[in-house]
Amino acid sequence: MSCKESLQTQAYLDGELNGADAAAAERHLESCAECQVLANDAADLSDALRKVVRYRAPDTLRQRLAKALDRETRRSPTRSFWLGAASGGGLSALAAGFALLALLPPSAASLSQSVVDAHTAALTRGKTIMVASSNHHTVKPWLAAHAGISPPVTDFAEQGFELAGGRTDKVAGNRTAVAVYRHGNHDVDLFTWPDRGGRLPETGMARGFRIAFWKMGDLDYAAVSDVDAAAFQKFVDLAKAQRE
Amino acid sequence: MDDRRRRFEAQALPHLDAAYNLARWLSRSPADADDIVQDAMLRAFRAFDGFRGGDAKAWLLAIVRNCWLSAGAAARRRGHASLEDQELVAPESDPEASAIQAGAKRKLDAMIAALPEEFREVLILREMEDMSYREIAEITGTPIGTVMSRLARARAALRETARDCL
Repeated sequence: MSCKESLQTQAYLDGELNGADAAAAERHLESCAECQVLANDAADLSDALRKVVRYRAPDTLRQRLAKALDRETRRSPTRSFWLGAASGGGLSALAAGFALLALLPPSAASLSQSVVDAHTAALTRGKTIMVASSNHHTVKPWLAAHAGISPPVTDFAEQGFELAGGRTDKVAGNRTAVAVYRHGNHDVDLFTWPDRGGRLPETGMARGFRIAFWKMGDLDYAAVSDVDAAAFQKFVDLAKAQRE
Repeated sequence: MDDRRRRFEAQALPHLDAAYNLARWLSRSPADADDIVQDAMLRAFRAFDGFRGGDAKAWLLAIVRNCWLSAGAAARRRGHASLEDQELVAPESDPEASAIQAGAKRKLDAMIAALPEEFREVLILREMEDMSYREIAEITGTPIGTVMSRLARARAALRETARDCL
């Protein structure tokens, strides 16, 4: 690799650059054959690496850990609410009730929180869009190259939701692809990321934003916006109905 | 359940898979990964009062990496004067190994495992755990510029094999 901009190009592809730096890297990428090869290679590698094992903690380790934490807190073994939630043989109804209550908030609430954080941070920066286009043939490959996933992207302009572009963003530490729509003065963000089998939160409100989650194919989806309830539901229905 | 335990379970335990994945790729051993992660989680729990918000995942992964180092990996490091100058090459595949390598995917797996630690950890943190450059720099105690060049070299080393996987 001899192009002296290659590390900058890499940083751009990794979503590490903002504003003027990102624009400069994008311009360079358009004219540098070597960096274009780099971009293709990076996308190929990300695709290939998704086939490589991401190891998951074995259940035996989870159980060992729960016991170790019990010892650490010097308590009689309390069934740790989400470690043991699946194997609730000896739970009293009361404990099960508590376990269920406790089971809901952490992951669900933090994921909702994280999606809304990403949405509001983009709005605050005034930079909801990294690639501006109403053409899904532009937005979809851009997302594939930059977020490493290729969600369906459809322009719903006729139904009142104009495709404005796309960006990559982080939700709970994971890279996501975001298709950005305009509905009047409102932004609607449609986040997608590879489904890793985690639970998704309930559809609802978080800090004044409507938010909906669903799974389709091997992707998780989250729509977030401050449009009114009817418009939001309409958008969610459209997004759920789209096909590759 | 006491409050600290509850907060720990809510904030740190969701990253248990990430902790295990890193430990597994660093140690390349299921048994070692178990021990490293258990050690790391207990250390994290003990130190949890000192954790003041921020990204629990990066915080936890830094502890995992430290546990891995203190578990003896440091002693096994061969003291290369400068790994940056070392050529990153695919391990010679012996005939028996190639016979076992049913596909490029397995080869890619083996090549990641064969990357020198400095490159392997950066690649895993970025590509599998989606950590930002800054987070990787903090986790590994390395300047961002070094993170970037290691990442570039690790990716370049895997380029050919990755293409065969697609």
